[in-house]
Amino acid sequence: MSNTLASVQETLRQRARTLLEDGTITYLIGWEAGRFEGQTTPLILRKAADVDRLIYNEFCVHILAKYPLSDKNIEGTIGVVVRGCDSRGINLALKDGQIKRDKLYLIGIPCEGMKDARTGQELKKCLQCTHRNPVVYDELIGDAVEDGAKVDRFAEVAQLESLSVDERYDYWAAIFSRCIRCKACRDTCPSCTCRECFTDQAAMGWQGKETSLAENQNYGITRMFHIGERCIECGECERVCPVRLPLMQLNRKIIKDAYELFGEFYAGIDDCTPHPLDHYLLDDVEEFM
Amino acid sequence: MSRIGVFLCHCGTNIAATVDMTRLAEATKELPGVVYVEENKYMCSEPGQQAVKQSIIDRGIDRIVIASCSPRMHELTFRKMLTDTSVNPYMLEIANIREQCSWVHKDKEAGTKKAIDLVRMAVAKVDRNAPLFTSEIPITKRALVIGGGIAGIQAALDIADAGFPVTLVEKEPSIGGKMVMLDKTFPTMDCSACICAPKMNDVGAHPNIEIMSLSEVEEVTGYVGNFTVTIRQKAKYIDYDLCTGCGLCEQKCPSKVTSEYERGLAKRKAVYKPFAQAVPSKPIIDAKNCRKFTEDRCGVCEKLCTVNAIRFDDEDKLVTLEYGAVIIATGYELIDWTSLYGEYGAGAYPDVIDGLTFERIINASGPTEGHIVRPSDGKEPKTVVMIKCVGSRDPHKGKAYCSRACCMYGAKHAHQFLDKIADGECYVFYMDVRAMGKGYDEFYMNTLQDGATYIRGRVAKIYPEGDKYICIGEDTISSKIVTVSADLVVLDTAMEPQESADAIGRLFGVSRDLDGWLTEAHPKLRPVETNTAGVYLAGTAQGPKDIPDCVAQASAAAAKVIGMFCLKALESNPMISVVDEINCRGCGDCVDVCPYKAIAMETVERRENSVWVTRDIAVINSGLCQGCGACTASCKSSALDLLGFTNEQILQEVDALCL
Repeated sequence: MSNTLASVQETLRQRARTLLEDGTITYLIGWEAGRFEGQTTPLILRKAADVDRLIYNEFCVHILAKYPLSDKNIEGTIGVVVRGCDSRGINLALKDGQIKRDKLYLIGIPCEGMKDARTGQELKKCLQCTHRNPVVYDELIGDAVEDGAKVDRFAEVAQLESLSVDERYDYWAAIFSRCIRCKACRDTCPSCTCRECFTDQAAMGWQGKETSLAENQNYGITRMFHIGERCIECGECERVCPVRLPLMQLNRKIIKDAYELFGEFYAGIDDCTPHPLDHYLLDDVEEFM
Repeated sequence: MSRIGVFLCHCGTNIAATVDMTRLAEATKELPGVVYVEENKYMCSEPGQQAVKQSIIDRGIDRIVIASCSPRMHELTFRKMLTDTSVNPYMLEIANIREQCSWVHKDKEAGTKKAIDLVRMAVAKVDRNAPLFTSEIPITKRALVIGGGIAGIQAALDIADAGFPVTLVEKEPSIGGKMVMLDKTFPTMDCSACICAPKMNDVGAHPNIEIMSLSEVEEVTGYVGNFTVTIRQKAKYIDYDLCTGCGLCEQKCPSKVTSEYERGLAKRKAVYKPFAQAVPSKPIIDAKNCRKFTEDRCGVCEKLCTVNAIRFDDEDKLVTLEYGAVIIATGYELIDWTSLYGEYGAGAYPDVIDGLTFERIINASGPTEGHIVRPSDGKEPKTVVMIKCVGSRDPHKGKAYCSRACCMYGAKHAHQFLDKIADGECYVFYMDVRAMGKGYDEFYMNTLQDGATYIRGRVAKIYPEGDKYICIGEDTISSKIVTVSADLVVLDTAMEPQESADAIGRLFGVSRDLDGWLTEAHPKLRPVETNTAGVYLAGTAQGPKDIPDCVAQASAAAAKVIGMFCLKALESNPMISVVDEINCRGCGDCVDVCPYKAIAMETVERRENSVWVTRDIAVINSGLCQGCGACTASCKSSALDLLGFTNEQILQEVDALCL
């Protein structure tokens, strides 16, 4: 089977038609064309007659893993198109008990990276992607591609680590002074599945309402630690940020630390391996004891 | 609005010398919600407590802060005090201005500032305290004793005598442990078997004691008063209900195996009782060495057994029982000196033996019937060298600690040798003589009078020359090199924890120290308790000891168990985790981090947004939860909260300190 985007799209449409017609899935989550050239948007496809709306091209930048979670009590089955990043998000949701596997029908597509419609260049998050093939699926369209990041994904973190504490503080203060706390990063993140986010627990007051650097930093830091080593590195937080904060640098710092302390670990490559911070072992490092 | 009373303790000068109490009191009066501040020289004293009670009545105080020592010291004291008042015992916070402030600081200015911070935090926290109430936990009044050495035997007997059923689990075929291998015991020289065997018989015959020999604890769940323990009873291949212990099978068994009990100095059979006084007094089949198992022939025992008790198809059995309390008495093993001390021949010289082997040699019922002879050629040794602290007090090669019993049994060995071999010479190389115990130093002095030569120093090397062993060491008192040509060398080797202690410790959540000994809850004030409620320690499982200390500790542990069993029910700890099921997303992270297995996921049906949904939520077992708070820290949704240390309380403390 050839892996050209056009042929993948054609097969995807055929399969979607069959699956919807024979009732295997209630609806399919994929992508459709947006209003502008190169723009795409997630699509919930319910009717076989509409399959031509379904597209697959080099601009399918949205991760789909979080969409099925809003319908976790569905009677039928949700079809989801998954690439490496989507499938890792799905695994994370399965591990966290957010949805049952039998409610999902996963159509896997090996992905060679998506492009930024504005620049035509491959997205940073795709260059840094370690798992291009879906890690969980019910059927696969196209042949497997080579896994592994095309650039050193820890390069930015290493560069930041070389700075002094004050320099780093200034760097992050400048960044978070721009944050508008729209919480788009949280909303898109496949690992953010709390029923009520800490930022919304107003009575407790974890997060103040004031528009200030301190509250912005509190939001950014707490978000980073809540996701922690569970980050699947899909890079969506950074992509959706309207003020373009380099949020993945924070996530990658935690991942890098987790690697150094507990060994190499990739969140979401299966739905059962405990995450380094989810459990303890008696021979865990105790660097402060 | 809460009405907070703050009571500042001077602790004599312990606190007042480093903290300006007047300034602390003034600063405290300004804090929100504080309606009364009082200082006292000793808050924990009777007048101090009375003052608190009186001010609760006079000032209408509804919660209190005591600024004093660590809550580990007196939180319970003040909680008990509050039970007689209108204030709930959990409407109390302790500001630790002693251990965490005055004791660790010298600068009065800085100490005062810190004390003010600590009190401010405690006041902020107590403002969000809520009354908590205890409940009753029923107690299963049966005890489990793990290890059938002298400590386990004593503990089991004491509990059984008080009228409570006991299960004594022993991994060997017989109870008795190390003590039953010894010849005589210092300082009174009673025959070890003569004082140990009757106790073993008492255990065997006691209606309240069940012995599970050749058994090991495999799994533990539950909590204080209600442990569920699974015990693996290994296959004995003999039906103990039928076996009369006549010994015919052992007599006729053709397979001979090195005897563990005789420390390799004699043989035993493949179907065997480890020693004559064994309890249970019935044999087992050693499947590794039995011809029926290795070669599928023989079966003599089966043919001869008059009651048909041989069961070659016997299998391990798993027994699950409920227990209210557990005593761990897993004992010690001697350190493997052969892997550590190449200079002593690393085990290659047959006449360089450890103390326990010497016990078998001098024992009248041992392989040599008490005649002191060399294992190599059976000749009577004329010159014996004893080396103490082999593995003990030697952090570079062995253990840093002192094994405590060796000085005395070394002296006993010297005495016994000189007693039996009148023209013998005995040289004891020692580091120090530690003879602290009733009648111990007198015993040591007697040994010196017997003619034992004590040389202060270590032996650096032993090498064979002809049929002699040349021991070279330094006499550190005269600074001369001493060379002794010995017929027999006895090494007084260090005690180390049983290998199984590691697994037992993990099963019961009892930590071990750096040397592997199980740790007590407090080295001085709670020496037999562990940090797991309902689990106690006895004997050398906790650290090296001699027999009197083992027995004393075993009785102490038994007293703790009996004390608990005499209660109608236990009071539960109300400071446990609770789940806010609205916020619980069902990820199960808390289940994995809980060290007490107190959290389980449960699938529930709830009506949410007008539809019925099925989802998983975490459920806390209030009996198992020890209130450690690991789950609350792991819960990203903050759906878990620890009563007494709620997120809100901690946040208030942080705000009080930082804002």
